[in-house]
Amino acid sequence: MSIEPRIGPHGRDDDLTRALRSLYAPPADDAYWASLAGRIMARLGGDAAVEQWWQPLARFARIGLVAAAVALVAARIALSRNAARETAIAYDGVIETPSSAPLQLAKDAAPGSARDATLRYVISP
Amino acid sequence: MYAALSLHTAQHVPEPSTDWSARTRERDLIVAAQHGDRDAFAELVTLHQRRAYAVARAITATHEDAEDAVQEGFLHAYRALDRFRPEQAFGAWLHRIVANAALDIGRRRRVRDADTLSDSVALPFRDPAEQDELRRRLAAGLEELSQRQRSVIVLHDVEGFTHGEIGSMLGIPEGTARSDLHHARAALRRTLGDLWSQR
Repeated sequence: MSIEPRIGPHGRDDDLTRALRSLYAPPADDAYWASLAGRIMARLGGDAAVEQWWQPLARFARIGLVAAAVALVAARIALSRNAARETAIAYDGVIETPSSAPLQLAKDAAPGSARDATLRYVISP
Repeated sequence: MYAALSLHTAQHVPEPSTDWSARTRERDLIVAAQHGDRDAFAELVTLHQRRAYAVARAITATHEDAEDAVQEGFLHAYRALDRFRPEQAFGAWLHRIVANAALDIGRRRRVRDADTLSDSVALPFRDPAEQDELRRRLAAGLEELSQRQRSVIVLHDVEGFTHGEIGSMLGIPEGTARSDLHHARAALRRTLGDLWSQR
């Protein structure tokens, strides 16, 4: 049971090639190809229709994108200004703290001094 | 059996004419299509669809998938037409696109039908010859091959593409295409061996 292929000029096995061509034969009917070309062009037509429908929206989309970019820049500027103001307030708070602290200390120290005076008065001879 | 088979034997799909006037005409059509002339593109479709189908059919498992790949391929080609340079070979460019569409359809189908094992080699049309022993054995033999080996042997032996063209279409080195062809032929000869010895 030996395999003796008939090898063609390009190294092809002629019988195998013939069998493969039979299996993979394209449709022979011209009507089929006309129909396929029609379907391809119809799909292109559909594609173009979608494209046309999208065109005005695409213009809006461009405008929308520009508006979004402007809004983003504005928001960023506002945020950075806000952050600067908050930083300034924080610095002001730190800077203003020493002037109010002594007052508070003086206020806190006042009852202590009165108590001391009373004690001094009581224990004094 | 081979006498009967020869009745069904089809010649491989010829390339669109490559003479000078035909190429000039094709280039004119491409330029016109690039400028939005849809009739020009329709003519390109008519010129190239058979060969495009042959490429797709070599890669896909069924006639229906090949049809889808051809349609997808032309659609992609139309969208990418402005990137095509007219001095290129339109056929080779289109075949790469169609092959890519066919490979993509094959991948999607394998994922979708992973449980039902659809990677079988369906015949283009259901006709009485489908019952033919050789066809049955050949289909079974092709099923044993990897998808790439099957594509390579069909593109080379049936459609007459060179190893370089096949490598370019399938995205594999030329040497791999050559080796796939060798293995595919050997495997099919083994499958059909006893039928061969009967003649």
